[in-house]
Amino acid sequence: MLMLLITGFSSVVSAQTNKKANEDTEAWRYELEVAGTGVQGTYLLKVWSYSKKPNVAIEQAKKNAVHGIIFKGFAGDQGILGKPPLVTNSNLEQEKDEWFKTFFADGGKYMKFVSLASDGAVAAEDRMKVGKQYKIGVLVSVNVALLRKDLEDAGIIKSLNAGF
Amino acid sequence: MKLQIMKIALLLLMVLGAATAGFSQAKKPTLMVVPSDVWCNTNGYMQVYDDQGTKVKIPDYKRAFQENSDLLAVISKVNGMMAERGFPLKNMESVIKTLESERAENAILTSKSGAGVSESPMDKLKKTAKADIIIQLTWDVLKTGPKKSVRFTMQGLDAYTDKEVATAGGTGNPSFSAETAVLLEEAVADKVDNFNAGLQRHFDDLFANGREIIIRIKKFDSWKNDLETEYGGKELNVVIEDWVRANSLKGRFSNSDATENMMLFEQVRIPLYDANGNAIDARGFARGLQKFLAAAPYSIVNKLTAKGLGQAVIVLGEK
Repeated sequence: MLMLLITGFSSVVSAQTNKKANEDTEAWRYELEVAGTGVQGTYLLKVWSYSKKPNVAIEQAKKNAVHGIIFKGFAGDQGILGKPPLVTNSNLEQEKDEWFKTFFADGGKYMKFVSLASDGAVAAEDRMKVGKQYKIGVLVSVNVALLRKDLEDAGIIKSLNAGF
Repeated sequence: MKLQIMKIALLLLMVLGAATAGFSQAKKPTLMVVPSDVWCNTNGYMQVYDDQGTKVKIPDYKRAFQENSDLLAVISKVNGMMAERGFPLKNMESVIKTLESERAENAILTSKSGAGVSESPMDKLKKTAKADIIIQLTWDVLKTGPKKSVRFTMQGLDAYTDKEVATAGGTGNPSFSAETAVLLEEAVADKVDNFNAGLQRHFDDLFANGREIIIRIKKFDSWKNDLETEYGGKELNVVIEDWVRANSLKGRFSNSDATENMMLFEQVRIPLYDANGNAIDARGFARGLQKFLAAAPYSIVNKLTAKGLGQAVIVLGEK
């Protein structure tokens, strides 16, 4: 009985942590930093995410990377250009709310376009304690060409030759 | 029964017509990558000729394509990345070859009666490699001690309005060991997305506010009238300006130059489709003005020529 209670409690806590991480993503509480020029069609980024649990932050980094590339863009650094967001309509997130909820659901389609570049290993200087939370920097690679094509096919963004 | 069949056929035709108009596509601009004059000059791909005592340099594109493999690799990379985005580009090297073979064919083409192909000096002048948007490339390899880096610039230039509609550029990361070819590939991969974002903004503007074109009005010296001749109490230049104002999108245009012999209309915004839903360009738009001037009360014989999608010239007085 006690075991059941403990297991139940720990899953509630874990769900709460994940929920908080998702809320942070929606509130733009993450940072993208360009980490290099990826191979053609990909971006190589370091994503800084926040969570009480380091493993949640590492997992959330994938979602944050795709979210950031679609809605936020990122600044350039050391000879590499920053990139504008894939969407040009600043209200698109609200207008296509349902579609993005499914896309960014835990284990959602966004997973198809992103991978951890360093197999999830985090350098010591990329793991920081900020108050009660961890700020974790993870290297990820995002297949932007495929992501853009997918968003175009779904009618979320316009293709370059739309209308011609 | 016969009447009913006719009614159904008519209805079908109307539905088909509406569907065709609905799916009508705007005329797609052509794009072509061209090495800039600065690149050609720096790398020694220039021809020099004497223009009445003044030495004039012009780029020798053919030699550049034949001799420089970096140029080929960069253009091919840009072409490939643009094709991935659904926008294949014209290949300048192929365009030059096609022009040369067409020129040779025209020189020997004769009919059975011995007639040759008509070709005016204007036709000859227009036979150049051209596109609606020119992607001009410039790069150079910078060296600091043993370190190398590539400074790379892509400029999207509208061939008619001369406006820079998209741009991306910058200097890449310095490297001790990477080959120049690798640095160039990296530079293209890094810049193309930003360039395309600018191009997308240009196309969004085109769909929202219409195509931007240039219209020139000229007169043949054999014509006894000019643009100051009055028709019904109005000077011809005012009549033409009124027509452009009434037919351009939201009346947007600027009449930059006007004399008794010529008029220049710049930044004329025209709709992408005519009243029947057909896609139009500068020539299609200027044809309206041509017909307007040819009809009474003006009855002015005139000649219409066009350059690509964005420039039309009407010459008054003769065909």
